[in-house]
Amino acid sequence: MSTPLAKVTIDGKELEVPAGTNLIEAAKKAGSAIPHYCYHEKLSIAGNCRICLVDIEKTPKLSIACNTKVTDGMVVHTNNQKVLEARQSVLEFILVNHPIDCPVCDQAGECKLQDYYMKHDLKASRMKEEKVHKDKAIALGPNVMLDQERCILCSRCIRFCKEIAEEDQLCFSERGNHNELTVYPGKKLDNPYAMNTIDICPVGALTSKDFRFKQRVWFLKEVDSVCPGCATGCNIKISHNKGVAYRLLPRQNEAVNETWMCDGGRFTFKPTNAENRLRHPMVRSEGALKVVRQEKAIEDIAKVLAAVPVSSILGIASAQFTNESNFAFWKFLKEVGVTDFYYQALEVSNPSQDDYLIHPDKNPNRAGVEALGLKALVEDKRYQLIFILGDLPSARLQKILLDRQRTVVVFSSHEGEGVELADIVLPVPTWVEENGTFTNKQKRVQRILPAFSAPAENKSVWEWTSLLAKACKKEKPVYQQINEVMADLSETIPDFKGVNPDKVGNQGFVLMS
Amino acid sequence: MKFEWTKENKKEIEDILTRYPTKKAALLPILHVAQEEFGWISPEVMEMVAQELDISPAHVYGVVTFYTMYNRKPVGKYHLQVCRTLSCAMMGSDRITSYIKKKLNINIGETTSDNRFTLNEVECLASCGTAPAMTINEKYFENLTEAELDKILESLE
Repeated sequence: MSTPLAKVTIDGKELEVPAGTNLIEAAKKAGSAIPHYCYHEKLSIAGNCRICLVDIEKTPKLSIACNTKVTDGMVVHTNNQKVLEARQSVLEFILVNHPIDCPVCDQAGECKLQDYYMKHDLKASRMKEEKVHKDKAIALGPNVMLDQERCILCSRCIRFCKEIAEEDQLCFSERGNHNELTVYPGKKLDNPYAMNTIDICPVGALTSKDFRFKQRVWFLKEVDSVCPGCATGCNIKISHNKGVAYRLLPRQNEAVNETWMCDGGRFTFKPTNAENRLRHPMVRSEGALKVVRQEKAIEDIAKVLAAVPVSSILGIASAQFTNESNFAFWKFLKEVGVTDFYYQALEVSNPSQDDYLIHPDKNPNRAGVEALGLKALVEDKRYQLIFILGDLPSARLQKILLDRQRTVVVFSSHEGEGVELADIVLPVPTWVEENGTFTNKQKRVQRILPAFSAPAENKSVWEWTSLLAKACKKEKPVYQQINEVMADLSETIPDFKGVNPDKVGNQGFVLMS
Repeated sequence: MKFEWTKENKKEIEDILTRYPTKKAALLPILHVAQEEFGWISPEVMEMVAQELDISPAHVYGVVTFYTMYNRKPVGKYHLQVCRTLSCAMMGSDRITSYIKKKLNINIGETTSDNRFTLNEVECLASCGTAPAMTINEKYFENLTEAELDKILESLE
């Protein structure tokens, strides 16, 4: 049964929308943006900010658009003189006690109060009285800071905690001029989705403890990606500037994360900026890993490949790497005759989980490597030559490695346990710098785009394997760009049939099987 | 002091709950039950009420701080609430307040050291015809003068 349509005229434009649509959404469709603070499409209607007042013909007074449902024949004006004057007055009221400290406010540049003031009010304050002063720089919880003076009391954060995070931790206390946002005395805003309140705060009241004071938002560039924190694969944007990632923000995908992400996911970019990044290829000599020219590393790998019987070579793919990295890795080894493959995954004891976005599998691409036909690593045989994507704990590696005359080739982004037993190390980008796709728990193939290039001599796995293929005198797999890897993946692996960059787009593409 | 519902409180709460469509809706009267029992609404009591009604302590806190008639500090045996709204103000409520302050040696919002008297200013007591007015606990005292106050305070045990 389809919803009946209602004919409505908004600013002279006639359109049909499902009956029951609220006026803010209907006006969006008509191309009229109605300003709003307290209204949020994913939250219940509060109707307290009053900035969305519109003029509906045959009603005596202005009505708030957020809480007015479209009815058939309704004629609405969102921009006439009456509405503009009301908007200006509402802004004047909201600004009565606002500190207007934009020069030191982190929200400046992405603040609705600033935006609407510039567009609709733009006049000096008539207030002669001292403003009401409230507390500033309050740590509401581990990740969220509150400035009570900047708060315009829209209650979005309160409703978010109650309705989405389902932990009713925030409230308004006191009343009138002294009305202020707070947590229950002695408690914290510490639910796993708390940082979404920062995103939906229309002003600079709630800011991120991690991000604040790091960058002016107008310097930041944004690129679409996918959170690698777990198998859910929340769609995100990476904010970055000059080769440094500064924050992750959720990006709308109704089929995956709606408009939210968890707090844990927000910090997954941190290792990219870390000090212990690998920058150059390394080969072990006299017991220690030493930086070498990349030709030397490639040559050494080709030599050992030629010397070791293929039955004693193992390839270990990774549920932490993209579909394209895993595919190129697998395809190269297959071309040189390797038949034994496994994949490794990040194993976490007592993983965080819930029935919403937080999945206990902390790998972004387990479904992807399984779609390639790979099985999880079993330590049942010892090998002379092992190729590994990512960081395999030494204890596990010891169990599958011959005692002598053995070689371990690791593709990794960081120094640490993963390269302890490595003989040859090839540096690879982190997910922030990578171009490719992850397959989430719904088998949805989702695109990640690089925010910036990886440092120094880092190369994607498919670039390394292309060089290796050439060194081993193989015609395949040699790729010039990521789209070629994707096309080959889609042609070679039945599960990935039909996957291409257009289909994946920015909302993903669900694998058939 | 330990805050615990008495048997009578529990019965009263049960009774109140039958009169409201949801548990949450019964918050105001149940806070009054608590205030009558304990004299004030302590943080422990807010959490007790929240638990009783299956709502968050944050919600209870928002409500308690919104309404001025819930005491957020312990009050003395006699709670003097002097009206300061227009009619009473015109009839000299500030003199009444100052007189009490001096006589009991406390400020607004404070309690005497013997825990007998607490003084507060409140908004309209709806007794404009007999201004200035105040309440002591539940009882009204009207047409106040300084001499009248002396008599009233002396009459209290």
